[in-house]
Amino acid sequence: MRYMMNAMRMNLRRAAQYRASFLMQICSQIVMTGGDLWAMLMLLERYGRMGHWEGREILFFFGAMHLVFSVTEMINRGLGHFGSSIRSGAFDTMLTRPRRLLTQVLLSELDPRRVGTMAVGITAMAVATALIGIEWTVWKVLLLLWSMTATVCLMLGLFLLEAVICFFSVQSIEMVNILTYGGRQTCQYPVDLYPDFIRILFTYVVPVALCLQYPVSRVLGRPMAAGIPDGLLWLCPLAGPGFLALMTLFWCFGVRRYRSTGS
Amino acid sequence: MSEPLIRAEGLTKRYRRSTGGKGLTGFFGRSTETVDGLVDATFRVEPGEIVGLLGPNGAGKSTTVKLLTGILRPDGGSCSVGGLVPWRDRRTYTAGIGTVFGQRMQLWWDVPILDSFRLLRDIYRVEETAWKNRLDELAEALALGDLLNVPLRQLSLGQRMRAELCGSLLHSPKLLFLDEPTIGLDAVSKLNLREFLLLERERHGTTILLTTHDMADMQALCRRVLVLGHGRLLYDGSLHDILQRYDTRHEVRCRFAGEPVWQDIPSSVALRRDEGEWELSFAPHAIPADEVLRLILAAGRIEELTLKEAPVDEMVAEMYNALHLS
Repeated sequence: MRYMMNAMRMNLRRAAQYRASFLMQICSQIVMTGGDLWAMLMLLERYGRMGHWEGREILFFFGAMHLVFSVTEMINRGLGHFGSSIRSGAFDTMLTRPRRLLTQVLLSELDPRRVGTMAVGITAMAVATALIGIEWTVWKVLLLLWSMTATVCLMLGLFLLEAVICFFSVQSIEMVNILTYGGRQTCQYPVDLYPDFIRILFTYVVPVALCLQYPVSRVLGRPMAAGIPDGLLWLCPLAGPGFLALMTLFWCFGVRRYRSTGS
Repeated sequence: MSEPLIRAEGLTKRYRRSTGGKGLTGFFGRSTETVDGLVDATFRVEPGEIVGLLGPNGAGKSTTVKLLTGILRPDGGSCSVGGLVPWRDRRTYTAGIGTVFGQRMQLWWDVPILDSFRLLRDIYRVEETAWKNRLDELAEALALGDLLNVPLRQLSLGQRMRAELCGSLLHSPKLLFLDEPTIGLDAVSKLNLREFLLLERERHGTTILLTTHDMADMQALCRRVLVLGHGRLLYDGSLHDILQRYDTRHEVRCRFAGEPVWQDIPSSVALRRDEGEWELSFAPHAIPADEVLRLILAAGRIEELTLKEAPVDEMVAEMYNALHLS
């Protein structure tokens, strides 16, 4: 626990070493995500609604997805750079330290700059809440928190998958990025707007819809045409932690292989 | 005889390396060959020893270190260090060892080294006062006092290496691994480092395993060496003895008052005139040194005399040659 706190402080201090660059990167990220938001608002202004979703509802989906993704990115940077950690020997160093490897990898690089995109996500959600006039109940808040946490797990699982691939191949495979960054771009909008194969991909293969969008649609008090049985609302997000657990097993397998094949 | 700290029996590690192949076949069906990292190495290390690993590049030194630090898992044989198996009991085991790799830094690059030391305190779960005392001791011995608040990236190479050493010793490990710790260091830094290591061992009984290509380091620190080549352990014993074996030529240079008269120079001694000085070179196993001295004394009145041993690097090169390592 103390290790965790201290590692966080350390990452903050590292960022603070380059204050100007830190602030500029936060700004640039706000501008980039803000650009996405802007484009969406333009579309919605032109068309008013998409499918059976109103503009302000889509704004809420957008905010939730970006908030989830920026929290993930804040944590997962160590996984994102895992290929270079193996090449530079930083991973060998972790092997000689008396802590869980995954803990060390995650804590080695936290990314405080993501507060910028987090702020954009939260703002979008807040504005949408006001526009829609959501009546918050304890259950709605809990459902939203649970589903967002589960989605962070899901995304971490994907980045973990990408990291494990580094054990087997020197080059990280861009395929996974289609699912992570592609997932973020796609799932800013409700999946039932998309053609079947994309909807199925992000519901059952990479279950962003199960973890996030389906519960969010219930928070908004709207049905979601994704073909998910209604009674399983609270269970659906389990797909996220489940996926992460599976990838953690895969990770352990990768570590075993690494230690028996050499560097 | 005390219980050995490190006990390795038949330790073996092989790597698979892809041989590439050509064109499309290389892309699809990749052929691999097996490379010996370490084969059937058996050795022991007693607590408090400083042992050097010696051998040309690719001989298996790093593999040995990686196996003993638990980074790699062997293909055969066994190894226990203080009753633990490095790769199996990784988290318990690594709490009691320290590692320094001259080729890469283990502290955090961007932050003051004190911050790194604090994080290491938490990683190794060192108790606060114990950590403080240890840090004071190490900072003094390594002259780090004024540098604690400087980020690692602003330190010179020598300062960085001292900081690395400090970091690797904060949790008071009983066993320290040093992989080429003096690489790139200037003479003064090297001397300080050696002095520090000897002091550390004297104070805390730390066992040290060291790889280096710097023979002066070896001579200053290690009484015992393991010589590796092509993944095999070729020699385990005193550094002095193995060097003697390959100490093929000694040289004596002398200057005489007046012209010397050489008598009965045997064929095992090569005599050469160099400006105003004379140089005699001989193989110590062919003719004893005192015999050579007697010849010199008989030749005339000596003004100056120096005895040169063959440089250690040459002896090592000779040894690698004899062992077919080069």
